[in-house]
Amino acid sequence: MNALTPNRPDAPAPVGLLAELTHRCPLRCPYCSNPLELDRRSGELDTQTWKRVLGEAAALGVLHVHLSGGEPTARNDIVEITKTCADLGLYSNLITSGVGGALAKLQALYDVGLDHVQLSVQGVDAQNAEKIGGLKNAQPQKFEFAAKVVELGLPLTLNSVIHRGNIHEVAGFIDLAVKMGAKRLEVAHTQYYGWAYVNRAALMPDKAQVDESIRIVEAARERLKGQLVIDLVVPDYYAKYPKACAGGWGRKLMNVTPQGKVLPCHAAETIPGLEFWNVNDHALGEIWRDSPAFTAYRGTDWMKEPCRSCDRREKDWGGCRCQALALAGDAAATDPACSLSPLHAKVRALAAEEAAENPPDYIYRTIGSNVRSPLKEEVHS
Amino acid sequence: MNAVFPTPDTADSQRLLSPAELEAALRDIGARRYHNLHPFHRLLHDGKLSKDQVRAWALNRYYYQAMIPVKDAAVLARMTDASLRRIWRQRIVDHDGDHEGDGGIERWLKLAEGVGFDRDYVLSTRGILSATKFSVEAYVHFVTEKTLLEAIASSLTEMFSPTIISERVAGMLKNYDFITKETLAYFDKRLTQAPRDADFALDYVKQHATTPELQRKAMAALTFKCNVLWTQLDALYFAYVSPGMVPPDAWQPGEGLVNEASPARVGGNRKMAAGDRPRLPRGVRLRNDETRGKWVLLAPERTFDLDDNAVAVLKLVDGARSVADIADELGKTYAAEPRAIEADILVMLDGLAEKRVLER
Repeated sequence: MNALTPNRPDAPAPVGLLAELTHRCPLRCPYCSNPLELDRRSGELDTQTWKRVLGEAAALGVLHVHLSGGEPTARNDIVEITKTCADLGLYSNLITSGVGGALAKLQALYDVGLDHVQLSVQGVDAQNAEKIGGLKNAQPQKFEFAAKVVELGLPLTLNSVIHRGNIHEVAGFIDLAVKMGAKRLEVAHTQYYGWAYVNRAALMPDKAQVDESIRIVEAARERLKGQLVIDLVVPDYYAKYPKACAGGWGRKLMNVTPQGKVLPCHAAETIPGLEFWNVNDHALGEIWRDSPAFTAYRGTDWMKEPCRSCDRREKDWGGCRCQALALAGDAAATDPACSLSPLHAKVRALAAEEAAENPPDYIYRTIGSNVRSPLKEEVHS
Repeated sequence: MNAVFPTPDTADSQRLLSPAELEAALRDIGARRYHNLHPFHRLLHDGKLSKDQVRAWALNRYYYQAMIPVKDAAVLARMTDASLRRIWRQRIVDHDGDHEGDGGIERWLKLAEGVGFDRDYVLSTRGILSATKFSVEAYVHFVTEKTLLEAIASSLTEMFSPTIISERVAGMLKNYDFITKETLAYFDKRLTQAPRDADFALDYVKQHATTPELQRKAMAALTFKCNVLWTQLDALYFAYVSPGMVPPDAWQPGEGLVNEASPARVGGNRKMAAGDRPRLPRGVRLRNDETRGKWVLLAPERTFDLDDNAVAVLKLVDGARSVADIADELGKTYAAEPRAIEADILVMLDGLAEKRVLER
């Protein structure tokens, strides 16, 4: 065993790898978690490199691989990559929009041993869903895709990202998941990083709407026990404590971008000054253990007050670094989503103010679109 | 016999049809008499039935499903050719399954449970319309008494079933909020099984109906079978749609249902029992995590850390062993009282089933 044994608390073995195979995607969701600058196809890692990275991940102790994007089935080698996961004993999770070429590749993915499918659904009402996703005729394709997943006997999770444009449909999402034969449903309130931050005013629901959605989910959990598992992610801004970002910085997860950069979380590139290493230059284990981006906020040594002396510091690990930067102007600050942050009241008031206004139109994202980074617009002193 | 089950009106009933003409004539029978044309089916697929009317359909149709292997065993008993029997016996396997909890009848029971029935009530066949029973039994008698050619020809309604199944699944999912894709799992299998069976039977009939007389008999047999299906829907319509005359001993809304107040049982998700044979579904894997030196259960977006007892149980969970078998084996290994550990195993397995990572 090398220094990466689970006994070394500062660098435990990673359990999950998010493989962002491509940024290409037929949808244009206004809350997309990908960075503002999308990677182009010409710079994407080739098949052999992905296979090597997956082999290194398995050796490091990774158990789950999330095949994501963009739309992962837009890659011609998605079946080969999935097969590599199966051969290595890695649990493969396809995170897909279900549109475009996804359906045509599903049988082959099943045949090579795909373990699970997570299908995004933008809305229940087709018109609303297609407005949010920015793609006409997406909804019937998604339904057909879901039916095929269930017919094959693959476990299906439905993922609904919730915001003020569809928060009235939470009960509908639950019915839809049952109808489709999904085993899990994620009711995930938008996390306001990356593109969602740009569109925050169009997306932020008000507190009463959030509370109502929580009530609906809790009632449905009881009613559908044993039939549908519902995971609920509430919006940070209205929570008491922040989420442990990716299970703690550099503790559980890593994210490989289409071009091979390895990030501690998918939004980490918004933090200026972090140095990310690339799988083209370094072995994955070396990046995980030693790269500056991973060591920057791993553990608790970097923390300031109130985190530094907080007894929750190893529970939520200070929350989200990207959100701390966006809202507090300092990536090492306590995540202002935390009620212990001096900025928390301000953040909450800001959310309430935006939710009370008429929502502006969505700013759709496409590769090559040039939106000024919003991060400088709101630096809290 | 022709007087009772008239053959379709072909232009020249004395002429020997070519195999293609015979097939066309058989398909024409379906086009005019198959039960997808019955008003009850239109109501079913268009979402015009109440939940209780859908229940009446699911309950009565169970009797037909349950008797299909009896019918096929009767056909099988008349086949002197082993190669023919090998093909035909697949139908029995499809319906009965290879083990408890498998097969078409089981999937139909899941459908009945999915619309709210208590499994034991359905199995008892109490409450099924007498007309349904008469009709289904007439089918069993028919294949016993008629020639093998007629028995095989009577199965040819399967040629028409893929259409009705796709209409039904799409229509029911769209129109009934109490119907789920899982409830209708029965039909998923039939979409591939029925065409395979029908292809074989059709070839057999085309090859063996070698005289005008035999061809007429084959067509009459298929007509008879269409009537078996049709009369079942007549009976349902009469009892549960209009004029709504439910015979005294037949099912009435409210009977034979599981208590809707107990959510754990809705959708067939009753508690695990000692006789159940649990299995890990696709997408859930028991794995030795060598990096961390422990066994884990990998599931959709989840990893379950397992203690030694859980690992010992899950290593024996294979869809073949019952919970009682697992308890017996572990009892031997650990010199413990099997019935005592069985109770613990049931609690653990129920917990996993509730999280949708274990099935039975």
